[in-house]
Amino acid sequence: MMTWQTALQLAVSGLSVGSIYALVALALVIPFKASGVLNFAQGEMVTLGAYIGLVLSTSLPLPFLAVAVLTVIIAGAFGVLIERLFIRPIVAAPEFTLVIATFAIGLIIKAAIRLHWQDNTYPFDAPYAGPALAVGPLRVNPSYLVIIACLAALVGALVAFFRVTKFGKAMRAVAIDPRAARLMGIRVESIFMSAWALAAGIGAVAGLLLAPLIGINPEIGQLIVKALVAAVIGGFTSLGGAVAGGLLLGVLETFCGAFFGATLKNIVPFGILILLLLLKPQGLFGGSLQQRV
Amino acid sequence: MRGRGICAIALGALMGLAGIARGEQGVTGTTIEIGAFGPITGPAAYIGLGGRDGANLAIKEINAAGGVNGRKLVLHFEDDGHSPTKALAAVKKLVDEDHVFAIFCVAGSNGTIGSIDYVKESGRVMYVSFASAPGVTWPFARNLFRGGTTEVPRYGELYAEFIADRMQAQKIAIISGREEYPKNEGDALTKQLQSWFNITPVVRVEFNIGDKDFTSQLLQVQQAQPQAIAFFGNPAEAAIAMRQARELGLNQPFFVGVTMVDQNFIAAARQTAEGASGFALVPLLPGSDDATLKAWEAKWKLEYPNLPAGRPNIFDLLSYGDMYVLAEGLQRAGPDPTTDKLIAALEGIKDYRVSGIATPRTFTPKHHIGNLQLVAMQVKNGQWVPLGWEGKHPSDILKRYQ
Repeated sequence: MMTWQTALQLAVSGLSVGSIYALVALALVIPFKASGVLNFAQGEMVTLGAYIGLVLSTSLPLPFLAVAVLTVIIAGAFGVLIERLFIRPIVAAPEFTLVIATFAIGLIIKAAIRLHWQDNTYPFDAPYAGPALAVGPLRVNPSYLVIIACLAALVGALVAFFRVTKFGKAMRAVAIDPRAARLMGIRVESIFMSAWALAAGIGAVAGLLLAPLIGINPEIGQLIVKALVAAVIGGFTSLGGAVAGGLLLGVLETFCGAFFGATLKNIVPFGILILLLLLKPQGLFGGSLQQRV
Repeated sequence: MRGRGICAIALGALMGLAGIARGEQGVTGTTIEIGAFGPITGPAAYIGLGGRDGANLAIKEINAAGGVNGRKLVLHFEDDGHSPTKALAAVKKLVDEDHVFAIFCVAGSNGTIGSIDYVKESGRVMYVSFASAPGVTWPFARNLFRGGTTEVPRYGELYAEFIADRMQAQKIAIISGREEYPKNEGDALTKQLQSWFNITPVVRVEFNIGDKDFTSQLLQVQQAQPQAIAFFGNPAEAAIAMRQARELGLNQPFFVGVTMVDQNFIAAARQTAEGASGFALVPLLPGSDDATLKAWEAKWKLEYPNLPAGRPNIFDLLSYGDMYVLAEGLQRAGPDPTTDKLIAALEGIKDYRVSGIATPRTFTPKHHIGNLQLVAMQVKNGQWVPLGWEGKHPSDILKRYQ
């Protein structure tokens, strides 16, 4: 018999897990919207961010916040590098080729990390980690509150960026029609590159938030399937949809675990996903595609 | 007729030669090739990385001291990713392509069970350092040896007696992973609690390897109001589950499986590890103040600098000790080792250990379980310390081997 306290506790846990899915889903949607490339290396970008944070925190006497900012900048630079070296030369290739290319990039990143660190797990401390906070009848890990707060702040910042800034508007224009955007004087290649930098930076944020909770090893970013599901639930082209999809998936998964056990925990949410897509193929927030023929 | 007779004799001689050649696979004038496998990637990599590094350190020392009867040991290592199918592929490659003389298994139970049938069929000696899966030594197979660990049903006996006797718990919750080793531990504890103490766990919940959130399992445990919680899985999972348990207000004592009685568990769980109890497979754990162990750790760190807190772990220690046991068997097998000679030599090993850092290993023609000792431990002030507790209940499992 589930009490309302138990249900609320499960909801908090689900939202926390879902926030991480949402972050990675966001990072999937941004380059997809800008360049039409589905980045299967996004999970490894989470891993890369965590390892950049590890290197910085162990080699430089910097406070956590400085480590976090530097990590996001360096990860962004890696995103640019990946776009320039691997994606741009083949951007005109069929979608399937691009997907496989990103998959290969992910494998290369993980293998490179393993060359030096192997699969050992490294602890990573964050100043906000501490004993659980009592919120009424609930107990909440402060790390989870930070994750939820970071997600909310990031979504707010992204919304402002896309709506208010000139560069953000240019990105939206490229997402809608790259050719028209180019004719309007927008440097489409710069937009693609920035989208990859942004995605890598968001991946790094996810890595930094996960690391204090589970430690750092090459599998820390093994979230791509869940993030993909979250993005599909949300409609894949909507930032708000990706967030909603991530949170929904996290909550569904947690409640399924409580009701049906570990065996069905990973099955039931996917069943619900299929049902949802049968009823609403464009996802919860995706607009229907209309093409003039 | 005479021609046919000569042909038959020649064929017989060839077959005989083939038999000898088969027996000497992996042995050259200067080397003995050993195949090894274990997980060095994925969520159970802490097992295989420790296993590989400990074995390599032992081999380096053995070779530096002149090798085995003048031959150097050469290790071929394969990653099994903690998967039964990958483990089978790894063993097939080692035996059929690399043509190793014997196999040194540093896999977890999950990988090991995938390889057992093939190894039995191949006839190669497989020396299993860690896996506690019953299938390694029961039913008895002449070419399979278990070094540092004992059979999981024996764990069940000791765990049940410790929890009921020392922890004085009657209401017990079990949280166990769904893969081979933690599932076996959970099953063995459940069976033995029922059989010896007439106790049925108040709740048993499972999780998937690599899970990072245990809220749903812990809330079920909370509702059952146990007096003690037994957790079987990997240290990374235990660290998350124990932290979340404390956050949810579950302050019951934790009992953990043998893979967690190690510094890598404390490195992951930190303060939430405090008070946890379990059984160690080695007499001394990395991080202890013993001079012999400290000297070994210094040697290990010289060989493997820059590894994280939690290394060397018990798997480094176990495989280091077990590689010396295998080398001792090879030494005793004489200058022309064959599989039969190695089996006979290993079966003659009694109370052998490289030093005080390992438990003594004994094998007989009746049983191939090298180590029957486990040490009850508890985390106090960030260290595993021996409790001095010993089981008194006569063992049903050990009767088999007397």
